[in-house]
Amino acid sequence: MQHPPDVLVQAIRYDTDVISARQLGRKRAEELGFSRPDQALVATAISELARNIVVYADQGEIELATIHQPDRVGIKITAKDRGPGIADLESALADGFSTGNSLGLGLPGTRRIVDEFDITSSPGLGVIVTVVKWSRR
Amino acid sequence: MAVKVPILKQGKVLIASIQEDLSDSDILDLQHRILEDVIRCRAEAVIIDVSAIGILDSFGTKTLSEIAYSVRLRGAKLVIVGIQPDVALSMVLLGLTLPDIPTALDLDRGLALINGG
Amino acid sequence: MSELISSSIAEGSGNLDLEKIFRWFDLTEEDRACTVELGELTDDVGEHIIEAFYAHLLNDETAARHFRDDAHIAQVKRGQMRYFRELVSADLNDAYVADRRRIGSIHERTGVTPTLYIGSYAYYLNRLAHVVLERMDEDPHKAFHLVMSLFKIAHFDMSLALETYVDAREEAIQARERELSELPTPVLQLRPGLLLIPVVGTLDSHRARALTVQLLEGIQEHRASAVVLDITGVAAVDSAVANHLIQTMAAARLMGALSVLTGLSAEVAQSLVKVGVTGEALNTAGDLQRGIEMAEQLLKD
Repeated sequence: MQHPPDVLVQAIRYDTDVISARQLGRKRAEELGFSRPDQALVATAISELARNIVVYADQGEIELATIHQPDRVGIKITAKDRGPGIADLESALADGFSTGNSLGLGLPGTRRIVDEFDITSSPGLGVIVTVVKWSRR
Repeated sequence: MAVKVPILKQGKVLIASIQEDLSDSDILDLQHRILEDVIRCRAEAVIIDVSAIGILDSFGTKTLSEIAYSVRLRGAKLVIVGIQPDVALSMVLLGLTLPDIPTALDLDRGLALINGG
Repeated sequence: MSELISSSIAEGSGNLDLEKIFRWFDLTEEDRACTVELGELTDDVGEHIIEAFYAHLLNDETAARHFRDDAHIAQVKRGQMRYFRELVSADLNDAYVADRRRIGSIHERTGVTPTLYIGSYAYYLNRLAHVVLERMDEDPHKAFHLVMSLFKIAHFDMSLALETYVDAREEAIQARERELSELPTPVLQLRPGLLLIPVVGTLDSHRARALTVQLLEGIQEHRASAVVLDITGVAAVDSAVANHLIQTMAAARLMGALSVLTGLSAEVAQSLVKVGVTGEALNTAGDLQRGIEMAEQLLKD
């Protein structure tokens, strides 16, 4: 069986790019055999991460990579921007915290719906959020 | 900007049926138009039908609750109908449970809810 | 102690690890050399002791139940003789350890409890000690040392079997839990619009998620407006499981269905309070009957 290309990239600048990114993610999750609820979770995580880019950093990108393992398959979502970065990561990950126009559930909520979550931020160099969602085979 | 969500008027009830995945600006546009229409039509109730959408993330959900609260301030009620199983699950996992906003399975049930009490 | 043994054995029972265990049991080369002397004695009186041992064993109702017939007893006696020879003379190496550990898992499978095992062992050792002391009455000092060495090896030997017994038991329990947790949860329609979900077994995250999805799809499929979630059959509800239940009901509510939670034990009620749930936010009923009545009442309102 031929696998679809393992890495997809969606540039994020406008809020319509958020839609494209999450549709791309849902399609990829479906192709990889994710359950319908998991497809929705992948799309939702992408939506949250992509919006953060639009709201806080003006532009960046969402990269989707496929991870094949013997007993499971995963989608690694990497959100990169060149914005101002997050000065206080701990607060940004706490429920209820928001510096922009959102509920403050974006990052902590995303962390709850994925299996792996990692964030690095250096002031002035932007933010990289990497999350992985697995599907049992 | 093209209108993405038609708002139908049925007696004193406004029905907004979301047909496709909305961007943040589409949702803000919807918010704006619903509030205008509630005032203009003296609507008593609003139903937002989300059965066609596959995602309600934190921004979408937050805006929906804002619409509900503003509609309530105008003395009307708002019911959200048609949240799909996958969407309901992701919303709850995100921590978005819309605790004080009435919900119904679909448009018929939503209308029944409004007319029943 | 058990940690010391299991970690050492788990690491591959190499010589180094065995050395560590021998130190713990104060088991020296000298002890081993000592018991090898028992070899002759073994062949001489072994059979006699084993006969007495089995007479004792078969006298006990519980113990006797482990033997099918005389042929089985004869077979086990032969095995016992070999076991006994190895105890006093075999190299205490990896092969020996593997063999002794196998015995523990056989015991777990066949229901030989630690009491039965240790009790039998003790009876056996006492008999042997007496024989040794009788036969060596010209040198009681040496006899005593010999018996002490034998006891050290016997204890080492027992620990191996018991460690495996415990491991095997744990594995069996986990396997049963896995089986339970893989049971699909039925979504039953009591009457149009009203669903009943009897949750049975262990509710881990994976199963709780599956349950939520089943419930939500059930609501859509049956066009349900109310759901009774009965957790009488749930083994344990910790705060994680309580959270799953709350999330499930919140998701059902988003789809326009009311839920009633029934079958809460005192502990479950406490878990729910711990995750911040109060009765006001949640419809709960003591038993299934009242839960169904409550759901029907909610549907009328």
